Amino acid sequence: MNSSEILQMFKGEELRYKSNLRQLMAVVWAQLKMMLAYKSWLIMDLLSTFASVVMYYFVGLQVDPAKLSQSGWGTSYLAFSLVGIATSNYLWACITRLSHSIQHEIRGGTLETIAVTPVNMLVFFIGLTVRGYLVSLIYLIGVFLVGIYGLGANLSLSPQSLSAFLVLFILMLVSNQAIGLIATGVIMVYKKGDPLVFILAALNEFLAGVLYPLEMLERFPVIKALSMLFPYTYALDGMRRTLILGASIFDINVLADIAILIVFSMILVPTGLKVLGWGYRRIRREGTTSSY
Amino acid sequence: MKVEEIVKYMAEIIPQRKVSVTEKVLAFIVRDFKIWWTYKLWITLDIISSLTFVATYYFVSMITTPQALIESGYAADFLTFSIIGVSFQQYVFSSVSSLSDAIREEQWNGTMETILSSTTSFRVFLLGESMFRFIIGSYFLAASLGMGALLGMRFILNLESMLATLVLTILLVMSHMVIGVLGAAMILKLKQGDPIVWAFSWLTQLFSGVLYPLGLLPDWLKWVGNVFPLTYSLDGLRRCLMNGESLSSPMIMDNIVKLVVFIVVILPFSLWFFKKSYDSTRKEGALGQY
Repeated sequence: MNSSEILQMFKGEELRYKSNLRQLMAVVWAQLKMMLAYKSWLIMDLLSTFASVVMYYFVGLQVDPAKLSQSGWGTSYLAFSLVGIATSNYLWACITRLSHSIQHEIRGGTLETIAVTPVNMLVFFIGLTVRGYLVSLIYLIGVFLVGIYGLGANLSLSPQSLSAFLVLFILMLVSNQAIGLIATGVIMVYKKGDPLVFILAALNEFLAGVLYPLEMLERFPVIKALSMLFPYTYALDGMRRTLILGASIFDINVLADIAILIVFSMILVPTGLKVLGWGYRRIRREGTTSSY
Repeated sequence: MKVEEIVKYMAEIIPQRKVSVTEKVLAFIVRDFKIWWTYKLWITLDIISSLTFVATYYFVSMITTPQALIESGYAADFLTFSIIGVSFQQYVFSSVSSLSDAIREEQWNGTMETILSSTTSFRVFLLGESMFRFIIGSYFLAASLGMGALLGMRFILNLESMLATLVLTILLVMSHMVIGVLGAAMILKLKQGDPIVWAFSWLTQLFSGVLYPLGLLPDWLKWVGNVFPLTYSLDGLRRCLMNGESLSSPMIMDNIVKLVVFIVVILPFSLWFFKKSYDSTRKEGALGQY
């Protein structure tokens, strides 16, 4: 190859994958390959997720069914906590995936490399997010299978309740993904935003009542009011209504939860996209795509 | 400057003041404190997050019944039982993972090789790296227990029970440092995802009686908990803090003896294992890799 050919090669603007969909698949595939490289880590992660469900099975043996029933969620603490643990684990694994991946790319010095290629950065960000959704879905299904078939959690799995659950589940992801977008924008600029995501996850889990019925908050109106500010509170309430009480999408409480989640999504998603765009443009302008 | 002068300068043995181990460990603590203090927002958020778990179990305790606790010989108080369990589990988890985390951080930052090629021995390095996190972990432990006390945790605090608590806490820390060293040895070789720390985290949560008395586990699973020092530590600490038992109690002494045996048996092995892993990583020239 002579020098003019080499120059020509560098000048060429030929993209291997021109379509956004092909690029998206390539990003997801690359991420999956990286993940599968650490098999022992993957197995340990799966086992620890299942262990958390088993742990709450034993905690449930100490719960007074009469007290739980007074809150209107049936008598099985296992079913109650299973819906909370499975969905909150999935949600936070998805939300933190994008910010973790970006931080990883920055520390590894590869974000700059990707940013100077003709790869559409929005597609790259979506690819990282999709990878999070796909992998965490395996955990979610695994947790439900262990809970239902391994430990005997009694959940309503009728087509009506499952379809309502699916709608609420998607709205939960959309409304909460904005938090992940905001966190990623902040991490790109300030390099240290993990605690922000971590605290939001902890607060969300606490305030939405993952492990206890929200009726326990009646004596604490300030905490109760705070819990109303998180979209996950409504998502969890609706998902429990469908899977524990067998409610369908036409149930008035489920409909109310869906409406509130749509409002949250309409406000939060554009905000999240704006913060992400702001963060990305700023690190490019300041030339700090590789600094950490 | 001429070449000969440069060579002479490099060849010169500069007399250095001997730095004691205590001074080196203090230097590690000061360094880590300075880094920690830089992220004040992080500190605030960390405090809030550790307090939310106390509040969570406060609300869970409202729907529990104390029957299983009474049958296992503890005072009838799920809030105290669970907060002691989770606080100490988090405390030892942070100590176990502190070494792996510190090594990982040094690998990422590219400073691992620099530190270990200095005159600081790997034992002092391990001690120094873990000390600050222990101090911070102790601070968070105290904060969690304090918050629990505000929410209605009931401790029996007299001179005897406090002395027994102190002895058990020291043994708890020592026994988990040993596991931390094993984890650090693994991370030196594997670079990513320390299986010992992961296994320790979920196995102890499940089998050491963090949130429920071991009497609730089926017989064929109870033996798993006997492998972990956290099981004996938590049982002893709960008996001291919830029941007011002292060092003269046979149950407390039994737990102490088991913890001492664990440390005596595992400590030499974990140091040997770390040395092997460290030497082999040095030979491969992979200390700074991540």
